[in-house]
Amino acid sequence: MAMDINDKHRLKNRLLKAGHLIALFIAMCIICVPGLWVVVNSFRPTVEIMAKPPVWIPTEFNLDHYRAMFGAVGEGGIPVVRYFTNSLIISVTSTLIALLVGMAGGYAFARYRFKGKAAIFVGMMLTRAVPGIALSLPLFIVFARVGIIDTHFGLILAYVAMNVPFTIWLIDGFFRQVPKELAEAAEIDGCTRWQAFWKVEFPVAKAGIASAGIFAFLTSWNEYALASQLTRSVNSKTMPVGLLDFTSEFTLNWGGMSALAVVMIIPALILTFIVQKHLIAGLTFGGVKG
Amino acid sequence: MANVKLKNVVKNYGSLEVVHGINLDVDHNEFVVFVGPSGCGKSTTLRMIAGLEKISGGEISIGDRVVNELPPRARNISMVFQNYALYPHMTVRENLGFTLRIAKKPQSEIDQAVAEASAILSLDPYLDRRPGELSGGQRQRVAMGRAIVRHPDIFLFDEPLSNLDAKLRAQMRVEIKKLHQKVQTTIIYVTHDQVEAMTLADRIVIMRDGYIEQQGTPLEVFEKPVNTFVATFIGSPPMNLLHGRADNSGKNITLDDGVNVAMPSRLAGKYADKDIIFGFRADNIMPVGHTLPQGDESVEIDMTVTLTEPLGAETLLFGEIGGTQVQAKMLNPRIVKPGEKLTFQIDLEKCHVFDAQSEMVLD
Amino acid sequence: MRRSKLPEWFVLLLPAFIILAAVVLIPLVLSFYSSFTAYRLTRPDSINNWIGFRNYVRLFEDAGFWWAFGRTVFLLTIALNLEMLLGLGLALLVNKVTWGQRGLRTIMMFPMMFSPVLVGFQFKFIFNDNIGLMNNALQSLGLTDQAIPWLVDGGLAMFSIIFAEVWMSTSVFAILILAGLFAVPQDPLEAAKVDGCTPWQTFRHITLPFIMPFIYIALAIRSLDVARAYDIVKIMTNGGPANRTELIWTQLARTGYVDAKMGLANAMGYISIFLAIFFTVYFFRKLNASRQILGMAD
Repeated sequence: MAMDINDKHRLKNRLLKAGHLIALFIAMCIICVPGLWVVVNSFRPTVEIMAKPPVWIPTEFNLDHYRAMFGAVGEGGIPVVRYFTNSLIISVTSTLIALLVGMAGGYAFARYRFKGKAAIFVGMMLTRAVPGIALSLPLFIVFARVGIIDTHFGLILAYVAMNVPFTIWLIDGFFRQVPKELAEAAEIDGCTRWQAFWKVEFPVAKAGIASAGIFAFLTSWNEYALASQLTRSVNSKTMPVGLLDFTSEFTLNWGGMSALAVVMIIPALILTFIVQKHLIAGLTFGGVKG
Repeated sequence: MANVKLKNVVKNYGSLEVVHGINLDVDHNEFVVFVGPSGCGKSTTLRMIAGLEKISGGEISIGDRVVNELPPRARNISMVFQNYALYPHMTVRENLGFTLRIAKKPQSEIDQAVAEASAILSLDPYLDRRPGELSGGQRQRVAMGRAIVRHPDIFLFDEPLSNLDAKLRAQMRVEIKKLHQKVQTTIIYVTHDQVEAMTLADRIVIMRDGYIEQQGTPLEVFEKPVNTFVATFIGSPPMNLLHGRADNSGKNITLDDGVNVAMPSRLAGKYADKDIIFGFRADNIMPVGHTLPQGDESVEIDMTVTLTEPLGAETLLFGEIGGTQVQAKMLNPRIVKPGEKLTFQIDLEKCHVFDAQSEMVLD
Repeated sequence: MRRSKLPEWFVLLLPAFIILAAVVLIPLVLSFYSSFTAYRLTRPDSINNWIGFRNYVRLFEDAGFWWAFGRTVFLLTIALNLEMLLGLGLALLVNKVTWGQRGLRTIMMFPMMFSPVLVGFQFKFIFNDNIGLMNNALQSLGLTDQAIPWLVDGGLAMFSIIFAEVWMSTSVFAILILAGLFAVPQDPLEAAKVDGCTPWQTFRHITLPFIMPFIYIALAIRSLDVARAYDIVKIMTNGGPANRTELIWTQLARTGYVDAKMGLANAMGYISIFLAIFFTVYFFRKLNASRQILGMAD
């Protein structure tokens, strides 16, 4: 009788364990397969991608789509290099500026008490909540007037504004993890507040700030709604907008698009993995410890 | 009937075995204390009884029912944790009633049980506060209250007092003892503090490195330690241990610095020509003129005092014999200056002799 | 020496204030103004053509707009709830793993680095009725012999969009909730087990209250960025078929850029902004409340 209960529980535990593994496997498949599908297709000839019935086990891998993409315009080539440099210049510059602005703002929220702090914080967050497409209308009008449509500068400006609120949130959280006493000790040891910040608080919060930077970078790197309206030509088009070059009225060049997608994903992939730990810590700390 | 039986219980983490085949019987209504240094496996053993750790081998039964694979909830136990483990998002009242609430007991029954527990532990003024608003002692009482409410077969305590300050700890010790008398339940209690163990236990189980070294009533383990580990672990200050050698008649011991003492008469002649450890407690070595009446056998020894610790009614004297530090007690103390040489009397009847190799007691 | 009497915190926040004012607030004021005019991109002087509330009245009378609005709310509600539930489930699954958890966490973040446009194309590809992975798989497994018109049928198209949106954003929830699960103190969990809780009861009464703030952080972060769904819809269906997946954002883009009716589009924009602000404020409040319960707020 007694053994019965124990056996039943043992069996139940084993079944639960098996169920857990199966569920985990399915979940991971759903997460991975769509992305892997894109990567695999970037190396497959179009005939095979379009084959009916489908070819499940790829028979041939080649770099044709990449070659075509970097090739001459008119033969399936698109100005990838220009798009890539545009994306890079715009994302990096806007990230650096957003970081500087965000560090100042985040420090203010983390270290000073002032009236209406919570309201100002939420107000700043709300500017981020404005849908990109809704913001693009007036920005388009203003930028057109000022003459910065289709320039790096225009998009950089827009992305700085887009990234500042969230950067402030993250950096605020990181600075609050640095004990106040550290900076106070530095000041007692003879630093000015400015020196105390750069010599003590900044180095301690550095890793966190870097991850806030990467978050901002990814947002700019992947942004589409604003970029699609504020850019016009190879002068400033970024890669997400460039993806649409593979579409024509009725057809889509899946293979070519997959190849550009891979070029887009790789930098994002590398950066995300570098900072994943800090990113999670920053988001949760800032949020939970109010 | 809620006795607890451990038969050859083993716990390993991967290839590391931390509890090596423990056997133990806890009777109904007994107060058993596991004591030992940190890492000795006492908490792991308790957690295996609770069902919070799986056992790797052997058998645990509670009230004659084997519970090896049962989850904690099916064992009808209560546990008080070191960090209280109160639910921070519930009031004291909700914390107390939680176990009944999830058992879907009617509200009237819950209210009554909460009121009862609250009365026993005088928690009435705090019932509507959250744990965050309570002091350490109050939290500890809530944790105990939560354990009572369930009317469990056994209570498990995992170092419940180690986060309290010394004064509060003494107070809570008394409360736990009272609680045991009131609720009449089997209690298994884990601590690293031998004073707690001595004051609370019906039976002490001393553990080291995943083995039970000795079990017995507080007086048994105090008076008849089976080895040098128990001898130094139980009792404060720890027992003085001096290395020496029994001579070829087995009637005398030569300590390391050449001092001779007689072998206690109950052991005389039994162990000749043998390396031994000679042990005696501070209570049994006192300066001549500042002692209790001595038994039939005693031996005198000279020692230079290096340090004193006046405690009021008595003073602890530190000295050295054969390079080993010795602590002695002085009753009706007078002021002793470091460097003073005094003659001490050792009560041989209360001395212990251990095998130098195995460190086990010789008798 | 110091002439400026401005408090330091204000000076520190000033760059943020200036840039947000220049790029967000002032344009929004402009768009607010233009939403009361008959401004058309093609005729710049029409911005002076003040028509009062006529744009708003037109919107309120336009059934198509209300459908799009309702569809947007529907999509957000379904998507956010699904993402939260699936994220919670995924976090619980990964949290239980004792071996190789780091690797799983890394895989879990995979969708976070995809551009929403890319997600759109990716799923447009997968749900393609002719050569898509979905139909190919279903047909090869013998589950159907027809080409299911994922993006051509209105209901299925909505499903496909929600699928893409959920795929993209569930990981944000999973990552944050997982961080929350790591932060749950072990003692109360064990106490609950001993107190007689079944695993479900332990989760319901102990774990969930502890991770609630993390769920709300995730919801707040997501709500800051809900309009990302525009990119996906724009690519996958562009509001089609027959407006069955038209959202407030796609309609707004079409009205503004294709039909060049900027005034009207800005009026829509304002409504979409209030929608986003509503979600954001709602979740920030919930976040604060859940923190209070655990005594975490300062």
